[in-house]
Amino acid sequence: MVVVDKEKSGVREPSNVPDFALIERSVGFQQLMKKKKRFLVPSILLFLGLYILFPLIISYTDILNASFIGDISWSWVYALGLFVMTWTLVTVYMKKAAEFDRMAEETLKEFNYEEEKVQ
Amino acid sequence: MNPTVVILFLLIVGITLVITYFAAKKTNTASEFYTAGGGLSGWQNGLAISGDYLSAASFLGIAGAIALYGFDGFLFSIGYLVAYLVVLFIVAEPLRNLGKYTLADMINSRFDAKKVRAGAALSSLTIVIFYMIAQLVGAGALIQLLFNIPYWIAVLLVGIMMTIYVLFGGMTATSWVQIIKAVLLMAGTTIISFLVLAKFNFNILEMFTAMKTATPHGADFLNPGVKYKMPLDTLSLMIALVLGTAGLPHILMRFFTVRDAKTARSSVMWATWIVGIFYVMTIFLGFGAAAFVGQDLIVATNPAGNMAAPLLAQALGGDLLMSFVSAVAFATILAVVAGLVLSGASAFAHDIYGQIIKKGKATEKQQMNAARYASVGVAVFSIILALGAQTLNVAFLVSLAFCIAASANLPVIIYTIFWKKFNTAGALSSMITGLVSALILVSISPSVMNPVEGAAIITGNPIFPLTNPALLSVPLGFLGGWIGTMLTKEVDEAKFAEVKVKANTGGFRQL
Repeated sequence: MVVVDKEKSGVREPSNVPDFALIERSVGFQQLMKKKKRFLVPSILLFLGLYILFPLIISYTDILNASFIGDISWSWVYALGLFVMTWTLVTVYMKKAAEFDRMAEETLKEFNYEEEKVQ
Repeated sequence: MNPTVVILFLLIVGITLVITYFAAKKTNTASEFYTAGGGLSGWQNGLAISGDYLSAASFLGIAGAIALYGFDGFLFSIGYLVAYLVVLFIVAEPLRNLGKYTLADMINSRFDAKKVRAGAALSSLTIVIFYMIAQLVGAGALIQLLFNIPYWIAVLLVGIMMTIYVLFGGMTATSWVQIIKAVLLMAGTTIISFLVLAKFNFNILEMFTAMKTATPHGADFLNPGVKYKMPLDTLSLMIALVLGTAGLPHILMRFFTVRDAKTARSSVMWATWIVGIFYVMTIFLGFGAAAFVGQDLIVATNPAGNMAAPLLAQALGGDLLMSFVSAVAFATILAVVAGLVLSGASAFAHDIYGQIIKKGKATEKQQMNAARYASVGVAVFSIILALGAQTLNVAFLVSLAFCIAASANLPVIIYTIFWKKFNTAGALSSMITGLVSALILVSISPSVMNPVEGAAIITGNPIFPLTNPALLSVPLGFLGGWIGTMLTKEVDEAKFAEVKVKANTGGFRQL
């Protein structure tokens, strides 16, 4: 058990430890988890899938050696596509995460959590 | 050695020492030492992550690999970048919300078991030492070439600099060295890319066409398969690259230098853009070197191709640009090894000494002393190993470090955050299985065993066929954690609820 340094946090007595199981079961938190899952699971499957597919395609077939424009082949297009995918997913996530933050804040507020003064 | 190199070189040494001097005044507590007080902003930490991550292996190694092997060299760039999605989506925020200074802190927020902490510290230290030897040996060889000084002096020079930054300036000095290095590296790479593109009249199509005849590989240069001919080997390497970043201790440590998960997230966003743009430019560096320096000269100067970028700078911009690029390479090495020393020291001083031996009751002064002794210890240990490893082919140690990170650290991180049934025995067995399998498999792989004398550490036929064992060792790490958990069946659901709430809301960090 971590002992709270009263002088530093100034807020919570160890006896005030919240009931995490209760928070975890709360509607707000469950919704947050559901929303996160609905975004993260498909995104992770998508990017890992496209990423792993790439070495498999270039190792077992030559289809990406075909020309895209001039001497630039589809291998380069796929490779740079993975770059674009990364930047796109990061940008989308930054937007989504703002919503996750709001939901998390609401949950914390609901359980009377005030920002503890860290350090 | 021309005077410009010496001046730029001294300038970098001077500036970083001034930074360290000011950082030292702000480094009085363990928190300041390990995390710069947690006060970095998103863009600062994003730059610092980039500076920590873009090692000489990235800057010089990938440019050389593309110059020598064309498309296959670029595979590294892809893996190193996409890896940041794993960092962002899975690791960064829970890590910030649960941990204090180290990865072990985060895992122990759930288990509070000394064995688990020791396991995490052990795998962190292993990764740090391997990564560091690769960096120091590479640095020694490189500085020897760039500045024409003996290998051992080069290693000692880098070793002393990194020790000074960390010992006196802690994370504040390390962060700013990394930030400055990132800016210099991006500037240098942009200038060279611009000059390369100018040679092709800023026509990418023209550049690709020219590359078909620029090297002995002919048109194959632009296609996959010049270097990586074994499909499973390629796949295994790609897995190590994409999953390893999220388990590298010196990268993970950077997330403790920001205030909260939100800032951790925005620092990954910054890093993704900077690192991504850099990796796109590795194409121009590699192509340019192949076209304007030529593979013969690149290989003659350094068989691994590490001198491709400096030689290209020489060819395009003469002595001045060559000197600048050499100075950037030097700054690159310093920034990475400083981050490594710091993360190694944190595993030793915070996890092993502070939490296991002193049971978390060490005074501020004891913690600081331990941190400083550990920094010197890690530095001296790796310098000695690097001096002894001069003639060994240790380039594979970088991808081995990624492999251990992916096999020993990532499974336990993922299980800790997401799996309700995960328990102490599972955490321990996951880390041990991942670490041991990666080490054993690599020591019987073609990276260590080669029938050609001198090509690898051991002369003989490799027993395991893959040069990078991630394809097998990562699943083993996950499997080890699953079996350990299932065999013991001890479950603490209340603790998991707590970890879940803390990881996802960022609240209750002080409890």
